[in-house]
Amino acid sequence: MLNSPHCNNLRAQLKSLTQEFLAGDWLVLIASILCVIYLFQTLWTNEHAAKVQIRLGDKIYATYSLNQQREIHVHGKLGDATISIAQGKARFSKSPCHTQYCVHQGWLTHAGQAAICLPNQISLELLGETKPYDTLNY
Amino acid sequence: MKITQIQSTEDDHRIAKLAAIAIALHMVEAVIPSPLPGVKPGIANIVTLYVLYQYGFATAAWVSILRVFASSLLLGQFLSPTFVLSLSGALLSLCALWLAMHLPKKWFSPVSLSIVAAFAHIAGQLIVVRLWLIPNAGVSYLIPMFAAAALFFGLVNGLIAKKLIKIEATNYLHL
Amino acid sequence: MRKPYVIIALVAALVFGAYLLSREEPLYHTQSYVFGTLVDISIYDEDDERARSLSNHILQDFQSLHNRLHAWKPISEGKPSELGQLNSTFERGRMLTNISPDLVAILVDAKVLSVKSHGLFNPAIGHLIGTWGFQRDEFSAVDVNDRKIKKLVKSSPSMNDIVLENNTAYSKNSAVKLDLGGYAKGYALDLAANYLRKQHVNNALINIGGNIIAIGKHGDKPWRVGIQHPRAPTAIATVDLPDGWAVGTSGDYQRYFMLKGKRYCHIIDPRTGYPAQHTQSVTVLVAPQPANQSQAGVLSDVASKPIFIESPQNRSKAARELGIENFMVIDDQANIFVSTNMVKKLNWLSPNVKFATLQ
Repeated sequence: MLNSPHCNNLRAQLKSLTQEFLAGDWLVLIASILCVIYLFQTLWTNEHAAKVQIRLGDKIYATYSLNQQREIHVHGKLGDATISIAQGKARFSKSPCHTQYCVHQGWLTHAGQAAICLPNQISLELLGETKPYDTLNY
Repeated sequence: MKITQIQSTEDDHRIAKLAAIAIALHMVEAVIPSPLPGVKPGIANIVTLYVLYQYGFATAAWVSILRVFASSLLLGQFLSPTFVLSLSGALLSLCALWLAMHLPKKWFSPVSLSIVAAFAHIAGQLIVVRLWLIPNAGVSYLIPMFAAAALFFGLVNGLIAKKLIKIEATNYLHL
Repeated sequence: MRKPYVIIALVAALVFGAYLLSREEPLYHTQSYVFGTLVDISIYDEDDERARSLSNHILQDFQSLHNRLHAWKPISEGKPSELGQLNSTFERGRMLTNISPDLVAILVDAKVLSVKSHGLFNPAIGHLIGTWGFQRDEFSAVDVNDRKIKKLVKSSPSMNDIVLENNTAYSKNSAVKLDLGGYAKGYALDLAANYLRKQHVNNALINIGGNIIAIGKHGDKPWRVGIQHPRAPTAIATVDLPDGWAVGTSGDYQRYFMLKGKRYCHIIDPRTGYPAQHTQSVTVLVAPQPANQSQAGVLSDVASKPIFIESPQNRSKAARELGIENFMVIDDQANIFVSTNMVKKLNWLSPNVKFATLQ
């Protein structure tokens, strides 16, 4: 496989490309790769929420990326609730519950923040790999 | 009536010609849809890099800034957020190039400069996004994606620029 | 040749990066609706399968406790809960009723706490709570019947009216109606914590409707709890819970209704019969307690109420009488008061939070 003419051709091309790399180029390239890895590691796993998890009853209903604009309709114990997602944040925008506490909570923006609609048994939680806390006292 | 004749030097012509190529590349990129919003290969930077090696920093800076202004005018984006993003990216990338061009040529080829410039370009844009367009974060988790894209396209553009410069050096081709 | 090494280093860096991205914590986490509220259990460093079965066991215990102690919901049509049965015999006058030993223990403990709090924690005012419409799943504004409330306060239902003898109970006052809403969650916390310890679980965090108890640690760090801001959808501060510690908050923001621009919350001052309106929230942090006293979970649920109800100048006294050293009060003007011991334990989540310390 590795000795097929096609592969050899590709290898030769790659070789000719990399042969022109100077020591400093390798340094820059490796430093850049490490930098990108570091960025992925810290920014994709820290504080700023990237996803919202919707729970219905004791089940995870769905997890959505926060990098979008959309409305989600979830049928809860009492009726249909509307959850809005807009560029990095999420909220309950409509709920059939009487208290409307969940709607009054407004936009959630940071990992670990949660809005819970007890009557309708739907909860939203913004996810990040490391939350600022393990659980919420309310 | 008095007609004013503007004197143009050979330098001006060269800048205009090179900028025209850069603008064309910029426009091509603008109309091709990108799979990820904000991620573009930045092929116009090949021209900037080429000019930097052939004619020096001042010409490269002229070409780069001209490209940003002219393209945004042509695309009807002048003074729009897109224009500001483009300009901030170009300016920071020029700063990075100015610093990087002092690196010893013996060890650092255009590939290094291209990667450095690509990172600076994206950094400049992200700073504007953070400070002006979307102040309350939400973009930070896009940074790794942008950085990865910058690394990849910086590398590819750098290799192309290097090839061009090498051809130029051997063939004495003229634009 | 130099290049192979460079490529090996590159690949190694990529693999290392991928490893850093993919490593997972040995944390089992489940959420469920029981007790009319959200129950959230985290178990650290246990086999997932075992953690799941332990959690399910706890949730089932909670559900049966909920059914037994429910103040207004019958288990099914015509079949009241154990507490409901007890309440109806109280209402019909002096009648000896058999009750289960654990309910006796609950009532004995609740009585002690009620006395300690000078009646500010009073689970015997079920009729008052019902009048205010808080014995329903959904709260809506009620017609405030001042005369009825006055009458209920005058009938002075108290835990001291309940006489407990050999697993039997009767009430000397027919106005007594038990509502363990301010006790049961804390009791359930202790129940769950004891169960997990018996099962040799060393690290867990249990959250029942905001009341939390910690066992062990979250890996090499202590369990960290966010304290809800009473008016914003975010945490105001975090606090680390050492092994065996519990935290509870009473707030006017979960169970309340608005009437003519005024907020009526579910925390009712037994002295006046009206909801306390001078406090937004009270958070108490409770250390593990000696075996012969009320346990940390119960105390975290109960102790916040008297501090919530008590007048501003007597808050510290109310806390002291229940043995609470760590507490935070946010009053109706959003002023924050923190006990001296608690100051060191709180990590504010926003800079420049202004607060006063309480002795």
